[in-house]
Amino acid sequence: MYRIAIEERSNWQQLAKEVGFQFHTIDGDKYWDESACYRFTMDQIENHIEDPSAELEQMCFEVVDRVVQDEQLLEKFAIPATYHDYVCQSWLNREKNLYGRMDFSYDGTGPAKLLEYNADTPTSLYESAAFQWVWLEQAMEQGLIPPDCDQYNAIHEHLVDAFGNMNITGTLHMAACQGSLEDEGTVLYMEECATQAHIQTHFIHMEEIGIDAQGRLTDLQDNIITDLFKLYPWEWMMRDEFGEAMPESGVTFLEPAWKAILSNKAILPVLWDMFEGHPNLLPSYFMEEAHKLDSTAYVKKPIYSREGAGVSIIENGKTIEEVKGPYGEEGHIVQALHPLPTFDGNHTVIGSWLVASQPCGMGIREDISAITKDTSRFVPHVIRD
Amino acid sequence: MKRSKSLKLALMGATIFTMTACDQPDETASIFESVDECAKFEGQDLDQCRQGWEKAAQEHVRTAPKYTSIADCQADFGPEQCEQAPQQTTSGGSIFMPMMMGYMMGSMLSNGTRSNVATQPLYRTKDDPGTFRNADNQKVSSKTGVQTVSRTAAQSPTTKTSTIRRGGFGKTAMRSSGFKSFGG
Repeated sequence: MYRIAIEERSNWQQLAKEVGFQFHTIDGDKYWDESACYRFTMDQIENHIEDPSAELEQMCFEVVDRVVQDEQLLEKFAIPATYHDYVCQSWLNREKNLYGRMDFSYDGTGPAKLLEYNADTPTSLYESAAFQWVWLEQAMEQGLIPPDCDQYNAIHEHLVDAFGNMNITGTLHMAACQGSLEDEGTVLYMEECATQAHIQTHFIHMEEIGIDAQGRLTDLQDNIITDLFKLYPWEWMMRDEFGEAMPESGVTFLEPAWKAILSNKAILPVLWDMFEGHPNLLPSYFMEEAHKLDSTAYVKKPIYSREGAGVSIIENGKTIEEVKGPYGEEGHIVQALHPLPTFDGNHTVIGSWLVASQPCGMGIREDISAITKDTSRFVPHVIRD
Repeated sequence: MKRSKSLKLALMGATIFTMTACDQPDETASIFESVDECAKFEGQDLDQCRQGWEKAAQEHVRTAPKYTSIADCQADFGPEQCEQAPQQTTSGGSIFMPMMMGYMMGSMLSNGTRSNVATQPLYRTKDDPGTFRNADNQKVSSKTGVQTVSRTAAQSPTTKTSTIRRGGFGKTAMRSSGFKSFGG
């Protein structure tokens, strides 16, 4: 695993504009960064990223299986009691899931350590699946990288196949919150994948969703929503006014409700409890058992944290790095510190994509600080032995 | 190879929808205001006219636009053009819908091939009374008889309900604003 400085494609900003990739620059700072790329060997990809992702997914299923049947654990996951049955049923009915992203700390020598699992509303999907793919094809064509490079990235194909297997016969409504260019861009890309699987889609903002007298969800044309892809976290839906209507709404959600367990940081201590010593796991505990952590350096994460918000790094009792955020009331977990590797001064995190629970691609984010967050730069990668 | 074999990036945005719209051929449909008009039309059989009407009347209940106020319904469809729907709100309140002004079914003239036209009710709006529209507000035709209609207008209309409240999702996100994304 190397970080290699390379020349940018001269036309990439024009291309981004043409294909609707509008969030490549955030507040004047680079988000998409092709002035460098990471190079991996096939062995690193297959043995250190792909296979462990598949194995971890199976372990995660065992965790869900345990948590849905344990009221005390569901409480520790901060899932409101009124939703325990609903979450449990969605798991017992084996409701299909679409995608997720496992974040790893990995420096090329393995084993990759699971930092967290964004299993409900992962973003950076379009950059990983599409823009990175086009970058590879064009960079090879323009001679910016050797012509025999490959990339761990069959995300697009897997997404189209997964949508095709969803048994959606009516319209799939697809929702994002108002005011996020990135989220709308991600949903637009999802719509394309669904359309390529011959599914009719209809975009709606979360805030625009209505409810009828029978408790069914409706769109702006008063059509009943039967299938809803929502780029909006389950834990927020459960606390929103319409949340209580969901169990009786008749809607099939993507992601399904059991992803409320997988996307939760509380999964980390339960994974450690069930598979202690697994090479891809870091020691992790619920806050009240933090004393069991055999390490003076650890990371404290809110159970609902996203994009690094509310995460702090603590060494010998002192907070050495911290990202402020609105999370934390729901409780915290602690995880042994396994610092992100640094390449040319950048802290690098690996995002390993799973579609319909199959590992199928990777996206890399970089930050100058030790905690990656929503503004961390996306850097493409290649495979070349 | 560990990457997708092909990826049509040009599809981002509206292109794909325009393409499918152009690709879709038109359909031949029979459009009538009543069973009587249908039965008088050359080549139509009275039984089939009746069956079509009955099916459309059933679909009318399911697919007609729904309103919780008769004034809102009349604003869209005109005075004396709305009726009470058999559905009720959970609190027992009335629901209103426009009256069915005609119906459409697969043409008898397209013998031998399966018709793609879903038998369904037709309406006339207050602002455009000369045009038959289906329950999804798609323009169908301004004339009765055997007509060419777009494939989208010939599809089975969606189930309609009456939305009683909106805005019940998204509040938790507002408390967490300041992110470029609400995902992660």
